[in-house]
Amino acid sequence: MQPNILVEQVAANLPAPIWFVQFFKALGFTLHAIPMNLWYAGLLIALWLHLRGNTHGQRFGARLLQQMPVIVAFGINLGIVPLLFLQLAYNRVFYPATILMAWFWLAIIALVTLAYYGVYAYAWGLRQQGNAMAAWRKAAGWCAAVFFLAVGFLFANGLSLTEHVDRWADLWKQHSVAGAATGTALNIGDPTLIPRWLLMFGLALGTTAVWLLVDATWFARNTVDEDYRRWAWSLAKKLYTVSAIWFAAAGSWYVYGTWHSAIRQTMFDWPWLPLTVATAVAPALPWALLMTAGFCNEKRLTLAAIALCQFGVLGLNATSRQVVQNLNLNPHLQLYTQPTAVQWSPLVMFLVVFVLGLGVVGWMVWQVAKSLPSPTR
Amino acid sequence: MHYPWWYVPHLTAPMLIAAISVLHVLISHYAVGGGLFLAVEVAHAYKTGNRAYLDYLQRHAKFFVLLTVVLGAVTGVGIWWTIGLSSPLATEVLIRTFVFGWATEYVFFVIELAAAFIFLYYWGRLTEKTHALIGWIYALAAWISLVLITGITAFMVNPGTWADGGSSQDFWTAFFNPQFLPQTIARTGGALLLSSLYVYLHASLTIRDAKLRDMIASRSARPACLGAVLITLGGIGWHFFLPPSAKDALAAAAPLNILVVLIFALTAVVFVLLYVGPYRNPGWLSPGFAASLCLFGIAAFSTGEFIREAVRKPFIIYNTVLSNQIYPEEVQKLRGIGYLEGGVWTKAFVKTHYPQAIVNDRIAGSELLKLPHQDRVALGEVLFQYHCNDCHAAQDGYSSLGRLLHGRSRELVRNSVDHLDSIYFMPPWAGTAEEAELITDYLMTINRPRPEGMRVGTETAEVK
Repeated sequence: MQPNILVEQVAANLPAPIWFVQFFKALGFTLHAIPMNLWYAGLLIALWLHLRGNTHGQRFGARLLQQMPVIVAFGINLGIVPLLFLQLAYNRVFYPATILMAWFWLAIIALVTLAYYGVYAYAWGLRQQGNAMAAWRKAAGWCAAVFFLAVGFLFANGLSLTEHVDRWADLWKQHSVAGAATGTALNIGDPTLIPRWLLMFGLALGTTAVWLLVDATWFARNTVDEDYRRWAWSLAKKLYTVSAIWFAAAGSWYVYGTWHSAIRQTMFDWPWLPLTVATAVAPALPWALLMTAGFCNEKRLTLAAIALCQFGVLGLNATSRQVVQNLNLNPHLQLYTQPTAVQWSPLVMFLVVFVLGLGVVGWMVWQVAKSLPSPTR
Repeated sequence: MHYPWWYVPHLTAPMLIAAISVLHVLISHYAVGGGLFLAVEVAHAYKTGNRAYLDYLQRHAKFFVLLTVVLGAVTGVGIWWTIGLSSPLATEVLIRTFVFGWATEYVFFVIELAAAFIFLYYWGRLTEKTHALIGWIYALAAWISLVLITGITAFMVNPGTWADGGSSQDFWTAFFNPQFLPQTIARTGGALLLSSLYVYLHASLTIRDAKLRDMIASRSARPACLGAVLITLGGIGWHFFLPPSAKDALAAAAPLNILVVLIFALTAVVFVLLYVGPYRNPGWLSPGFAASLCLFGIAAFSTGEFIREAVRKPFIIYNTVLSNQIYPEEVQKLRGIGYLEGGVWTKAFVKTHYPQAIVNDRIAGSELLKLPHQDRVALGEVLFQYHCNDCHAAQDGYSSLGRLLHGRSRELVRNSVDHLDSIYFMPPWAGTAEEAELITDYLMTINRPRPEGMRVGTETAEVK
């Protein structure tokens, strides 16, 4: 591949080592993926269960919907980390790609705002009026779910376009006035777009399944009975099975149907082969744990292992995405030869504040854990 | 130049930043001041055992979370979105300079979020001491967020010695720029004042108990007055530490003259209303009075933000990035090789559409002038997009050139292009003489004729 003339290298210094940037970008994306998965697929499932589920389904739907405002808040916040580090080191490909689709990219803000309020409308309706909430609140919840799916589609557009710079020229020609982008392009001709979007939905189903168990076993431990927990494990098994199949199908389409042969060859060769294989088979581990865990009253350890494995699934996915992104961009963007002058003292300040911040949040969560039970529960 | 330009008809792309940031600022200052209000007042209500006040504070906390955590947070992300789309080069400089400032601010935002949710959702389920403490954790984290972000926004107005280059280009020199302290003081004051105005509006609309409403009016008047003092002090410092060009722009540009008078008038109205209203006569706090006070405050704030943006011209970051997305040190080079040649996307445009103008893989100025008139106009439009559209719409819209040039002759327009920076809040012309011809050709196509019917004493005898 020839370097694309539309990609210019940056002259300014990178303030952190490139490995540091990539580590926090992948870690941030993994942390963001947990809540994001819950609003991506979990919200749809919760709405459906609340509408058409049995007693337990309605109960879980209501619980997840009431948790959703907090989940969305943290999800948005955690999404800032990967975007910050993406803009730091990949700015010369990220900005042009998003400028080409600027109006759609900006629409994400409007859609997220509306979806966020939609989630609040539903959650507070449930809290105040229960199932008898006003129809507009129910409609707002469903609209929120659709908006979040649309946001996922737009993100998949922006990030696939960031990665595939060879698509820029055509889109620019079709969507420009006197050389200036009109911001109306969408990367829908990119064969990787749909499998990427679907792949994330498959992962989101799995994360929702694990959340269902975490909620039943920990958060709702004092308020649900054995029957509910049995139902939760049963549904989680089914949901995770669908997730694993979905992931395998979308992943195969993505890898074998859309990757450039050179990328596929690299990812299936040393040193990336173990990562590729691990990413592909990772969902099998939590799935196997789920399936083999016979129902018993005390299986928090198993659940902790399943949750940890799901975190690993998301982490491996983020790492593989990072590697593939780098491979696609390598001919065009000099990632590893950027001039670097590490800002040591601000970097240390950030790490110290990060650790202290975790401590403060941990202390607050501990206060919550020992708080009085809710009078409404 | 370094990035593709986003053409937003009539409005210009950077105006989208202004629209979102003004909305964000009006909420984010409340997120800081409102946090302090809740922390102080909840502790006071617990101490005095005032259940009615606690009930009100819980309702206010709900309103606070709904506004700040949702719209405040999303518009904050929205600013990231729009600056990346509209000013990518300046954003690149800011991120490469302040990435750890932003990352640190992000940690404080996580603390804010956790504290805000626990404060609201665990109301009545924590001990009074713990609940109040979590309120204070929120307030402190929110104020530190304000300090960290102010360091970055203040840098854009006056980066101080950082802009001199060399060893001074480190994070701390950039962060503790000359504008940092005055803006931090002013914004802290703004947060205190604005939050009191929101509290007044919310209390006047939701509280029936006159005694409780009067107490809130009276208690919130003190931080509001402190806020007013801090805004005044910070404002004086802000003006003192402005670069000379910004001070001159404030004095010379007619719209800014009006806005400065407006902000003084609006601020004075708010101060007077605060003093004669909630401070001296808490009973005056009707919904109408509170709404008027809030609207005056919002108008003053919005005007202040607009002035803060406008005085930076011709820079996005003073002495660092020019408003047309190039570095000042690139101007001489671009005057030599050409603006079209120097830009990644402009060169690609010429290569694609006018390969005949390419000689030895470079755009040849002489070849550009040989193009037919309509092609010269088309290339002139490219130059307009990448050199001018940051601040000027074309024929109609925000500060449109079609209207600014009204009836000027070709010679005058060409002369204006050559001497763009004779007006010091304009960037210099950064192209070749041939490119100046092309953009002049284009500008003449959008140049409107002089309005008819004017008699200024210079008309021809024939007309008379």
